[in-house]
Amino acid sequence: MAAEDVQILPILPLKNSVLFPHLLMPLSIGRAASLAGAEAALSTEEKEIVVIAQREPSKDTPAGEDLYTTGTKAVIKRMARSSDTQMDLIVLGVERVVLLRLEQAAPYLQGRVRPLPIPEENTPEVQALHRALSELAARVMQLAQPNTPPEMMAMLAQSDDPLRLVYLLASMITLELPKEQALLEAQSRSEALRLMHGYLSNEVQVLELRNKIASRAQTEMTRQQREYLLRQQLRAIQQELGEKDPQQAEVELLRERLQKLELPEEVRSEAERELSRLERLPPGAPDYQVIRTYMDFVVELPWNTFTEDSLDIPRARQILDEDHFDLKDVKERILEQLGVLKLNPNAKAPILCFFGPPGVGKTSLGQSIARALGRKFERMSLGGMHDEAELRGHRRTYIGAMPGRIVQAIRRAGSRNPVLMLDEVDKLGRDFRGDPAAALLEILDPEQNKAFRDNYLDLPFDLSRVFFIATANTLDTVPRPLLDRMEILRLAGYSEEEKIEIAKRYLVPRQLKQSGLDAKEVAFEDETLRRIIARYTREAGLRQLERTIGRVARKIALRRAEGDQSAITVRPDDLSDMLGAEIFAEDQLRKQQPPGVATGLAWTESGGEVLYVEATLLPGSRGLTITGQVGEVMQESARAAQSFVWAHAAELGIDPAAIKDSGIHVHVPAGAVPKDGPSAGVTMATAMASVYTQTPVRNDTAMTGEITLTGIVLPIGGVKEKMLAARRAGIRRIILPRGNEKDLRDLPEEVRREMEFISVERIEEVLAAALQTTEPVETLNA
Amino acid sequence: MEKPRHSSFFLFSGPRADEGVWRPCVDIYKTRSGWLLKFDLAGVRMEDVTVQVTGCHITVSGVRRDFLAEEDASYYSMEISYSKFERTVDLPCDLANPSVSVEGRDGLVIIRVTEG
Repeated sequence: MAAEDVQILPILPLKNSVLFPHLLMPLSIGRAASLAGAEAALSTEEKEIVVIAQREPSKDTPAGEDLYTTGTKAVIKRMARSSDTQMDLIVLGVERVVLLRLEQAAPYLQGRVRPLPIPEENTPEVQALHRALSELAARVMQLAQPNTPPEMMAMLAQSDDPLRLVYLLASMITLELPKEQALLEAQSRSEALRLMHGYLSNEVQVLELRNKIASRAQTEMTRQQREYLLRQQLRAIQQELGEKDPQQAEVELLRERLQKLELPEEVRSEAERELSRLERLPPGAPDYQVIRTYMDFVVELPWNTFTEDSLDIPRARQILDEDHFDLKDVKERILEQLGVLKLNPNAKAPILCFFGPPGVGKTSLGQSIARALGRKFERMSLGGMHDEAELRGHRRTYIGAMPGRIVQAIRRAGSRNPVLMLDEVDKLGRDFRGDPAAALLEILDPEQNKAFRDNYLDLPFDLSRVFFIATANTLDTVPRPLLDRMEILRLAGYSEEEKIEIAKRYLVPRQLKQSGLDAKEVAFEDETLRRIIARYTREAGLRQLERTIGRVARKIALRRAEGDQSAITVRPDDLSDMLGAEIFAEDQLRKQQPPGVATGLAWTESGGEVLYVEATLLPGSRGLTITGQVGEVMQESARAAQSFVWAHAAELGIDPAAIKDSGIHVHVPAGAVPKDGPSAGVTMATAMASVYTQTPVRNDTAMTGEITLTGIVLPIGGVKEKMLAARRAGIRRIILPRGNEKDLRDLPEEVRREMEFISVERIEEVLAAALQTTEPVETLNA
Repeated sequence: MEKPRHSSFFLFSGPRADEGVWRPCVDIYKTRSGWLLKFDLAGVRMEDVTVQVTGCHITVSGVRRDFLAEEDASYYSMEISYSKFERTVDLPCDLANPSVSVEGRDGLVIIRVTEG
């Protein structure tokens, strides 16, 4: 290095920045040492000064170690004092220098510097980097300032010295001091280019992100502003035309309706509050629709609308009789209620539960009660409902919230005292979403339902005048507390005679009418109906019967349509032509039964069934085997029967050796149908006694009753259905617990007349009546 | 209070002429016989001016000395560029055999290029 290259020059420390060669930079200096240094430089011919960045910007009087060693020699181009202690300079970077040694620290820094040129380099790498950097730079310019003057872009493009481009870019983008210094200290052009490329890439990303954010915010703003502006204009136009703002009109309409309603105080103030909220909301607000729908619903609810009860008892009786045959209990209960209402108009409505097999008319009975009372009728099916919110509604905070089914039904009814039928209450589901039965507890409690709060409505609504009727096929699945709140009314199945009567009065006329036939021209003989009931249907209710009559009616209608105009009487023998072969063979008594088979009676959801219990000895084994899908209660019942038989072997005339030598197997067909309950106890005991004594059981006798270990026969349920099933099967002799004697009153007259009932208290009486001591009776024809 | 901002303003004074070298302003006239160039070089002594002609390029360079800078005076403000200067002017090459004359007058350096 030639000696003349080394210069001693004043040094100007910079706090936050780096001066690059070839660039102009305005500086404002105020530190005494800096001022003195600048003065010294100005007093020379060349006005040269060395600008070096400080490592530590906080130091006010930097010493040698506080300065970077690489700086830039600059020429002061312009200078002006703005005050005594302030000097503004414009300096032009000339070349990169290295600080060899600090010559003087006061009154100003002065050091020995030597130029530090960057070697020329024109490798393909540099060229590639240069080109990439130019493109990147153009991109940055575009992003940072979309309307960059084209001259600037041209300048960038034409700067053919890569180093100059790097310095230029460094001055344009904001970089931290260490990065700038690193650029200045770069050993080679390629290093400087690479560094700059990195910084610039980062800059591009930052800028792109910034632009994205900015443009998003901008479109958001402009859309809202546009909408606002348009709305303002719309309002102005409407005012000009003398029209009301639709929102205002809507609110006023609601307010008007609200004022007309008779509302409880709490409801009114809450409704007013919601209404004023609605008024203040812009129609575009998401809450607007929610509150509007809510207000509509509140206004539509029958807060204080009642239907007048028709208290004409003879008329009500007539209506009930018109619609339904028999069902004396239920009708009586309804008329009682009418009597109560006549004396006390504010009486609480009862909560009834109709319970019986399908098709016996539970739902239609509800309708006719509503008709008799002159009330509105609403029905909702609870079958399969497993979400509490369906009954009680969703809170309004949820999107798409809806009022519960109860309140909706009331709104549909349009009065506060409708007959509300809760169908299939036994088929309520229950899962993690909640237990609708628990919600029903509140709804059906006369003490609580005075102020029922639907989650959606969130206002107390009085349900105490609603006449609730629940229906169920079985009470086993209805929760206890719920049962406790309801008055259970049983609608047992119908006997054959009742069915014939109902068919004649209701089903035949209805089906004929539906098929477009004249009731005068088509007649069904009683015997025909009897055969349809016995051979084509098997049910406790009437649905299948009605369908079958419908089929017959359609066949007749077809004939009519084909031109046969003669009056028709349907005879039993016509049925096989119309309906095809008989579906059910006539129930026949099993003829001579072997010892060990006893006839029992079972109750199911769809009516009664006849059921045979078979017992057989298993020589060489021990104990009791029970098969036939038998439930736990029934198994225990079988064991009790067995224990009784074994314990009383002597009195029953059983050979103790038979018990000792063999086990016993009890089977209850049909094997695929699950069965449970204690009412087959006496039947199983009889079957066992029969097999041990090898005495057959009388084939015309069926029995039912629970048995205890001491041989007492306890009463059971479902007597009517069981008796009807027994009769259907041709059984005419029934053994039943004395405790059930009272239930026989429910049986139709002719059933009671036709059948022999033997009421018993002890198993010995059962055995005496059941075990065959005479020859078997001949099979009866039904 | 050295709190500088990089200026996005930068200087381009011709190729390779910005290393601390300033550029004087120039007016160029087309005359009947050739060209007249008028350089603004106040305070520059004629002996410090060099004119160089290579083909169609005329380069004027030199130095403006800060001769009034005295020991006991200090700047209050400075706007004039001192030290070395250089300016190259490209003329259309329409003269077959040019001759150049240089003349200093009232702070201007006047260069005539004529067909000779």
